[in-house]
Amino acid sequence: MTIQETATVLWNHSINTEYAHIGLACGAGYADARPGQFVTLRLPDRSTPLLRRPFSIHRKISANNETTGIEILYKIVGSFTRTLSLAKEGDRIDLLGPLGHGFSISEQHRKISLVAGGIGIAPLVFLYDALKESGVSFSESAVFIGGRTQTDILCKSVFSSSNIKQFITTEDGSEGEAGMLTAPLSRWLKSHRPDMIYACGSMPMLKAVIAIARLEHVFCEVSVETMMACGIGACLGCAIQTNMDSEKYRHVCVDGPVFNAEELIEG
Amino acid sequence: MTSKNLKVDIGGITLNNPVMTASGTFGYGKEFESFVDLNRIGAIIVKGLSLKPSKGNSPPRIIETPSGMLNAIGLENIGIETFITGKLPALKDFETPVFVNIYGTTIDEYAALADRIQDVDGISGMEVNISCPNVKAGGIAFGVDCRAAADVVRAVRLKTSKPLMVKLSPNVTDIVEIAKSVEDAGADSISLINTITGMLIDIETRKPKLANITGGLSGPAIKPVALRMVWQVARAVKVPVIGIGGICSAEDALEFFIAGATAVQVGTANFINPRATLDILEGIEGYLETRQIKDIGELIGSIRS
Ligand SMILES: Cc1cc2nc3c(=O)[nH]c(=O)nc-3n(C[C@H](O)[C@H](O)[C@H](O)COP(=O)(O)OP(=O)(O)OC[C@H]3O[C@@H](n4cnc5c(N)ncnc54)[C@H](O)[C@@H]3O)c2cc1C
Ligand SMILES: Cc1cc2nc3c(=O)[nH]c(=O)nc-3n(C[C@H](O)[C@H](O)[C@H](O)COP(=O)(O)O)c2cc1C
Ligand code: FES
Repeated sequence: MTIQETATVLWNHSINTEYAHIGLACGAGYADARPGQFVTLRLPDRSTPLLRRPFSIHRKISANNETTGIEILYKIVGSFTRTLSLAKEGDRIDLLGPLGHGFSISEQHRKISLVAGGIGIAPLVFLYDALKESGVSFSESAVFIGGRTQTDILCKSVFSSSNIKQFITTEDGSEGEAGMLTAPLSRWLKSHRPDMIYACGSMPMLKAVIAIARLEHVFCEVSVETMMACGIGACLGCAIQTNMDSEKYRHVCVDGPVFNAEELIEG
Repeated sequence: MTSKNLKVDIGGITLNNPVMTASGTFGYGKEFESFVDLNRIGAIIVKGLSLKPSKGNSPPRIIETPSGMLNAIGLENIGIETFITGKLPALKDFETPVFVNIYGTTIDEYAALADRIQDVDGISGMEVNISCPNVKAGGIAFGVDCRAAADVVRAVRLKTSKPLMVKLSPNVTDIVEIAKSVEDAGADSISLINTITGMLIDIETRKPKLANITGGLSGPAIKPVALRMVWQVARAVKVPVIGIGGICSAEDALEFFIAGATAVQVGTANFINPRATLDILEGIEGYLETRQIKDIGELIGSIRS
C-alpha cells in the first residue's frame, strides 16, 4: 500500500562530488516494495523547489528480518538534490511510496544481464538483491556499468558478493573500457544469451539497449524517467507513447516506470 | 471546542465545508484515497471530461517554474461514458458531493455533456470549463469573449437543473465583464481562476520546454493574481464565487474568503502534499476557533479598507 509519512534520516553520505546516498527510516509499508518502484520526496518547511521529486528505491534497509527503511542513491543535479545532500541524521523528510510498477522477477529468467547508465544503477541494485534472494546464482549473468567518466561508475563493490561478471565502460576511458556499454553488451550476447535484460539509464542509452535486445530476441525491461508532478496518476503529466495503443498515452508513474521494451516506440 | 459552522451554500447545493479539489489536480478522486479521507472534503471536482475520450498533448507536458508549474496536459481524459460506468460507482461510496468538470470545442458538445449528466445519480453538479478553444471561432477560447461564454452557459443551463458552476479563464482583459455575462446566462456559481497561459524556453536548444510550446501556469506564483480577480468578481456578482489559484495553506484560503469567496478549490497543492485539502480545512477550523468566529460566513467578503 502507498503511504505518505514523515521519514527520519538515518545517514547521508557523499560518494564523490556528484553522487550521494541517504538512508531513511520508515514504516513497515516498504516490506512489500518491489525493485523498480520509486518514492517521491519533499523537504518539509521548504517551499522551493515546489514539486516532490521522484527517486528509485536503491535498497531496503532491514533489521532482524524486518524492513525498517530504504536507501536512495542520488545524483546532485539541481536545487532539490543539492539541499538533500545537506540533510543530517535525524532530519525529517516527507516520503511517499512505494509507487509505480517494478521489474518482473520470474523462475524462467535465471540468466540475467543488468545494464546501468550512470545513476541508472540505483534501482538495479535493489533488483540484484531481490534476484539473489530468489535464488539466481549469477554464474552466467553479467552487469554492465557505464558512464561519462570515472565518477559515474557506482556500486561496483555490491556486485562482488556474487560471481556475476562485471563490465565497466566510460566515454572518456578513465575507467574500464572506453566507449559505450552497448559494446561489451553486444559482445556478451554473442556468447551468453540471457533470459532477460534489465536496463536503466538515459533515454538514448535505453533506446540502444532496446535495439540490441530486439536484434538478439532477448526479453528486456527498462526503467524510464519523465517529469512528474504527482507520482500517483492524478496529473497526467508523465505521459509516454507506447506501442500498446496509439490512441492513448501511458503514464510512467503508474504504468511504469518499468516497461517491457517491446512497448516502447522505436526511434 | 465551540461548534463552528463551516457549511456553505454555493448555489443550489450546501457543502459541509468550503474546501474542494480543483479539476485536473485530483484525478477521478480514487487516486487520493490512501492519503485523505475523501468523506471530509467539501466537494470533489474531477478531471475535465469531454464527450469522447481525449488523448491529450505530446510530452513533455509539465515543467516546474519559480513557485509554480506549467502544464499542457491538453485535457487528456477517459470521456464521459467511461467516467460514468468506470469511475463514478467508486465515488458513490463516499458522502462527498461530486462535481463533473466538462469541456467541449463547440456549444453543442457542452450541451450534450450537460444533457448526459443531468439524470445521472451520484453527480451533484457540474463545473463548466470555458477556457477551451471554440473551433467555430478559429480556436479562440469561449471564455475570453462575453458572448461566447454566455452562449455556452445558456446552452448548458437549458439542459440541466443541477447546480451549475462556471469556471473562468484569467486570460482576459476584464474578468468582471465575463463574470457578469455568465451570471446573466444562468450560472449558479462562478469559480476562478483557471491557469494563466505562459511558456518557458531552453536557452541551449532554443526550443520551448513544453512540446505544446505554451502551457497553463498554476501554483503559489498565481495566487496574488487569482485573489485580485476573485475580489473584483465577488463584488460585482450576486452568485457565490469560488476561489482557485495557488492555495497551499489555510492562510491562503482565508485570504480568498476575506476577498469574497464562498468556497475554495485546492489544485497544484495536491501534488505537493496529497493531504493538502484536509490540512487546509483543519487550519481554517483552527483559525475560526482561536478567533471565536462561529460561522465561516462571517469571514466571507469581510475585507476592510
Ligand atoms: C521514476 C524516477 C526514478 C528516479 N530515480 C532516481 C534515483 O534513484 N536517483 C537520482 O538521482 N535521480 C532519480 N530520478 C531523477 C530525479 O527525480 C531528478 O534528478 C530530480 O528530480 C532532480 O531534482 P533537482 O531539483 O535536484 O534538479 P532540477 O534542477 O529540478 O532538475 C534537474 C533535472 O532533473 C529532472 N527532474 C526535475 N524535476 C523532476 C520531476 N519532478 N520529475 C522527474 N524528473 C525531474 C529533469 O530532467 C531536470 O532537467 C528519478 C526520476 C524518476 C522519474
Ligand atoms: C495538471 C493540471 C491539470 C488541470 N486540468 C484541468 C482540467 O481538466 N479542467 C479545468 O477546468 N482545470 C484544470 N486545471 C486547472 C486547475 O483546476 C486550477 O484552476 C489551476 O491549476 C489553478 O489552481 P492551483 O494554482 O491551485 O493549481 C488543471 C491544472 C493542472 C495543474
Ligand atoms: S506524475 Fe502525475 S500522473 Fe504521473
